[in-house]
Amino acid sequence: MYSIETKSLTKSFGDLVAVNDISFSVEKGEIFGFLGPNGAGKSTTMMIFTTLLKPTSGQALVAGFDVMKNAKHVRENIGFVQQETTVDEYLTGRENLLLQARLNHIPKNEINHRIDEVLDLIELTDKQDQAVVTYSGGMRKRLDIAGGLLHHPKVLFLDEPTVGLDIQTRRKIWEYIKKIHTEFEMTIFLTTHYMEEADNLCDRIGIMDHGKIQVIDSPQNMKNDLGNEIISLLVDESNNHNSFLSELKKIEFIKKINEDNLKLTLFVSNGTEVIPKIFQISSQLEIKITSISLTQPTLDDVFISYTGHEIRDDDSKYNRKREHAKMKRLRA
Amino acid sequence: MYDTYTIFWRELKRYKKSRSGVLIRLIQPAIWIIVVGNIFSETQPLIQSVGFDGEYIEFMAPGVIILTAIFTSIFGGVNTLWDRRYGFMNKALTSPISRSAIALGKMSAISLIAALQASLIIGIALAIGVTFPNPFMIIPIMAIVVLFSLGFSGISVTLAATAKSQETFWGMINLMGMPLFMLSPALFPLELLPNWLAVVAKLNPVTYTVLLVRELMTGVSEGGIPILISLGVIFAFVLAMIAIASYVFTREVNKPF
Repeated sequence: MYSIETKSLTKSFGDLVAVNDISFSVEKGEIFGFLGPNGAGKSTTMMIFTTLLKPTSGQALVAGFDVMKNAKHVRENIGFVQQETTVDEYLTGRENLLLQARLNHIPKNEINHRIDEVLDLIELTDKQDQAVVTYSGGMRKRLDIAGGLLHHPKVLFLDEPTVGLDIQTRRKIWEYIKKIHTEFEMTIFLTTHYMEEADNLCDRIGIMDHGKIQVIDSPQNMKNDLGNEIISLLVDESNNHNSFLSELKKIEFIKKINEDNLKLTLFVSNGTEVIPKIFQISSQLEIKITSISLTQPTLDDVFISYTGHEIRDDDSKYNRKREHAKMKRLRA
Repeated sequence: MYDTYTIFWRELKRYKKSRSGVLIRLIQPAIWIIVVGNIFSETQPLIQSVGFDGEYIEFMAPGVIILTAIFTSIFGGVNTLWDRRYGFMNKALTSPISRSAIALGKMSAISLIAALQASLIIGIALAIGVTFPNPFMIIPIMAIVVLFSLGFSGISVTLAATAKSQETFWGMINLMGMPLFMLSPALFPLELLPNWLAVVAKLNPVTYTVLLVRELMTGVSEGGIPILISLGVIFAFVLAMIAIASYVFTREVNKPF
């Protein structure tokens, strides 16, 4: 059985199509990551899964229940940790968890035990009786995540779980997520725009852009598809440039060549053997190589090869226009 | 019921932790009762003309108790907007509790808080010399204040769920609060109003609440409206507000914020 299953899921706000006819499924027990630039439709998709938004068309099943027809059952079986921390500052850590336990109908005689269990897991037992106002950002996030799994949901949704946290805290949160995953055997569905995070946590990744899923695979396979190494090459201008390119393409280990003027990026599977061949060709054609480097591909490279651009900043023109249109729709 | 209690518990916890808020909310009604109560003490003959023979301050004390209840409860729903902005609402909406339980939990917490604030005002009134002929009347008076505030908190929660911004909310609250207070016998007897305003005042649930509390407090019946009618109007108002607030709240929170 799948934990999440969608069929032609579509959500539009007026004429803006935020989620465009996506069909995919997430297996039970998997950590699945949604990766994409701002405004790609990740959060909208997650809001549909958590019953906060109704799809325009298509179907989504979460924990076996239809998000439209059976929203209440979906809610009973999910945990949702939002992007912004939502713990109540005036309450203590423990009171926050108590509130969460009651919201999720945990039987009275089990509440205390469950709270102790998650406090131990996120290492906040010592601070449980302090008001959340005194907590650091990382502690708040941990408390928030703890609240999401108190009721042992079948599917845990994490919306950008480490956004705005420093690197040490981020790594710590990853550890907790892995621990939760093994301890409670939950399916975890997360969105992120950190490649490193997706690479580190996820069994499979879906890359989303313009409301569509561009590709779904394991991080390792995605990187393998591109070859396991990248050679970056900078050459001087030459009349033989084109024949240089065509000669390079004949080398069997080279899977793909991206060219940006005189800068060439070669995706290869056996870099150490390719480099001498490159030098051989270049000396035959009298082309001067200014620099050459051999690196392992990161998911960033994968991402760019699928979306054609790096993850956009919030201030990119395209994004601002899109967000603006969306906000206008929502407020109308 | 349990879900309503969960939200009620959370709201009260938050209220308890904001001690400064308790005092700040008392300042305005305290000013009313102390300043206005004394400034208008010369109007005693007016009050006597409608059959009330005590001090003016004793006449208007029930009005100020209700004023406290009105403003505490009508402002009370504002945290609905914060909850939507800062994610608590989404947290509650993705849990199995029902939408109307959220509205009712908020309303019941607001009405209890309003009653607590009103009881502090009763304390101030006693301190500045207002007397109760029958001290046991404080129990039914508090019950009425709780009930009435429940209705008014319904107005607040309804407006807060509909408003998309703080500005809209405060604008609407001011539009509602003051006229409802002024168009009631809180400060002056109904008999002194021009006829057409008296008709409007008689459509206002605040009128019946003030008359009822005043009768219980001072023993003087005014305007010839029987207690049962007043009680009936208050109950009908509260039931209507519960229904409207649950319906509007459920409809509005399902829309994206």
